[in-house]
Formats: sequence, C-alpha cells, structure tokens
Amino acid sequence: MNDTDLKYLWQTGNEQIAISQKSDKTSLDKLTKRNVSHFLSSMKPIKIFTLLAGLLWVLGIGYVLIKLTINAYDQVSLYFLYSAYFQVMLTAVAVILYIIQLSTIYSIDFNKPVVILQKTLIKLKASTLNITKILILQLPFWTTFYWNESMFKNGTLPLFILQGAVTISFTYLSLWLFFHLKFENADKWWFKLLLQGKEWEPLITSINILNEMEEGVSSDKDKIKKSK
Amino acid sequence: MAKHNLHQTFHEIIEQHKGLLFKVARTYCGNEEDRQDLIQEIRIQIWKSLPKYDANFAMTTWLYRISINVAISFYRKNSIRRQYAIAETLPPVIDPLPNDLQEKFNLLEKFIAELNEMDKALIMLYLEDKSYLEISEIMGISVSYVGTKMGRIKEKLKKRFLNHKEN
Repeated sequence: MNDTDLKYLWQTGNEQIAISQKSDKTSLDKLTKRNVSHFLSSMKPIKIFTLLAGLLWVLGIGYVLIKLTINAYDQVSLYFLYSAYFQVMLTAVAVILYIIQLSTIYSIDFNKPVVILQKTLIKLKASTLNITKILILQLPFWTTFYWNESMFKNGTLPLFILQGAVTISFTYLSLWLFFHLKFENADKWWFKLLLQGKEWEPLITSINILNEMEEGVSSDKDKIKKSK
Repeated sequence: MAKHNLHQTFHEIIEQHKGLLFKVARTYCGNEEDRQDLIQEIRIQIWKSLPKYDANFAMTTWLYRISINVAISFYRKNSIRRQYAIAETLPPVIDPLPNDLQEKFNLLEKFIAELNEMDKALIMLYLEDKSYLEISEIMGISVSYVGTKMGRIKEKLKKRFLNHKEN
C-alpha cells in the first residue's frame, strides 16, 4: 500500500464519519461550568486535605515555635526546638512546591507546540517526586526532637546505641531515598510501595518517547514561519 | 474582542472544524464515552485559549496544537485508569464504505492505535495532507525530523499491512 492509498483510505473513511457527526450545541455556560468541576475533580479531596493540613501545620507549629524561641528559649529543649524548626521548614518548602505545582497546572497553555507542552506537563508531574523527596528529608528530625540534656547525662550505653542506631538509620534512609527516588527506579519494589508505581508507568513511557524526539526539537528560527 | 464576538467566533470555529476535533478524538480514544469526554475537553481548551489566538498561525495549526495536546494528556490519564486496545472498541463507521475499503480502513485505524502517542499525531497529520512544515509547527520539531519520523512510521504501517495480508 503506497502513500496515496493510505491518504485516500484515511480521508474516505473519515469523510463517512464526519457526515454522521451531529453538531454539538453544548452551551458555553455548560462548558465553563464543566471546566470548573473538572478542575475540582482533578484536585482529589485528599490533595486539598493534604494542602490544607500542610498549611495549618506550618502556620500553627511555626507560630508556636517562634513564640517559644522569643519567650522560653532557656526553658525548652534545644533538640526539640531545632528538630521542629527543620521539620516545619521542610514542610513549608514542600507546601510551596505543591502550591506552585497546582497553580502551574491550572495556568497551562495548550496552544504550545505539542512536544514542548508535553515536556512541560511531564516535568510538572515529575515535580511530585521532588515534593516527596523534600518530605522524606524530615525523617531524621522525627528521631531527635525528644532528645534532652538529662538523657545524655543519665542515659545508659544500650540507650545511646539504640538511639544512635535509630537516628543514623533514618538519616541514611532519608538520604538514600532522596538520591534514589527517580524515574529510572520506577520499576523497583520500594518505589512502587512508596509511590504507587502503576501510576508512573505511562509517564515513563512518555518520557522515553519525548527523549527520543528531543533530537528533533526544532530551533525557534526554524519555526517562526507562517503556514498560511 | 468583545465577549459576544468571542462567543460567536468560538461557535463558528467549533462548527467549521468539528471534523478535525472528531478525528483527533477517534485517533486517541477507544470508546464513545471517552471520545465525547475528550471532545468536550478540547472545546474547553479552545474556548480558554481563544483570546490568546495568534493570527500569525493558521487556524488549523492552532486547533491541531490544542486538540493533540489535550488528547495526549487525556490518553495518558486514561491509560492509567484502564488500558484497552483502541481499535477493537472503535465503533464501525455508520454509513459503511464498500466492503474492501471498510476492512482496510478498520485495519488502518487498528494499526494507528498501536502506535505511541506522538507517532499517532504525526501520522494523523500526514494523512490529513498537512505539509512537513505545518506538522513541524504543530509538533514543535524540525522539518527534517518530521521527514525522518514519517519515513519510519509509514514503514511500520506498511509492514503491518503486509504481515496482515500474508497471515
């Protein structure tokens, strides 16, 4: 089958389909309402909850920590204070990244050339990984906030060994995950366990396709020509 | 552009290019329900993008960009939800072609459905008789790369037809 046959086949077949198509008279009101509901439905309740919980956590705990620093710095455990500061700071970074991600998704311009826009969409989706990585960096601080001076003065060797092992292993785990949570590892069991690997498979396929097309992305000079 | 004019322009564009929207939807969606959803999604994006329409580009170039971008995103989202063989669920053409042509057309759709999301767009534009320059503008790749890719895709399709014939 040659090129002309293929084109003839496609055009003849689609002509028949086009004839059978009715005009869609959906009003703009219905369309725009649907747009809003679609956007909201894409923001699953769990996402809204996560965002609100993260914001409340950062604002609430942040406020308490600042108050404690100003009014009771000498009375609180510095291990607790600094562990909590690091934890809240990392949560704040994750919340900011999350808000940027959601607002970017909402303002995406579908009018861009296909390969360019699809790369942007893939990058956006991939940024979910960065948020997860930031949150994972909090792990070690959950093992240090309850430390205090009396623990070091009165603690026993087994306690120190146990505490040290927990903190070191959490630090190692968080750093290991921070450096290894990437698409290349999406087929690994721990990745699937942490991030529901199935959701990433089509994305990884798309990344591979787009990477292959990277060699063909034209320079702007090539493109700025009218096709009219 | 006044809002009333914008509404009117939007309806004119949709009416005039409904075939384009439907062909993109049919290329990317296997069942009627998804196809209708996709067409509505495309219409929404056309409406949202209309104020930003750059008259330096042909209307069809602009429409293809939006339609294919929405379709690929929709396709990716749906392939997470359920993976299905598109060609197997495509409804038959209502006013059928002569038997031989109908069978070949069904095969063509089936083979296109087997291609990846980018190759689907490329071959659809090619079969729609778009020039390599237009395809490069829609896709954002160089004209020479369009030629290279198209050669590979056509070869793939021809092999599929040949294999089918031999079997």
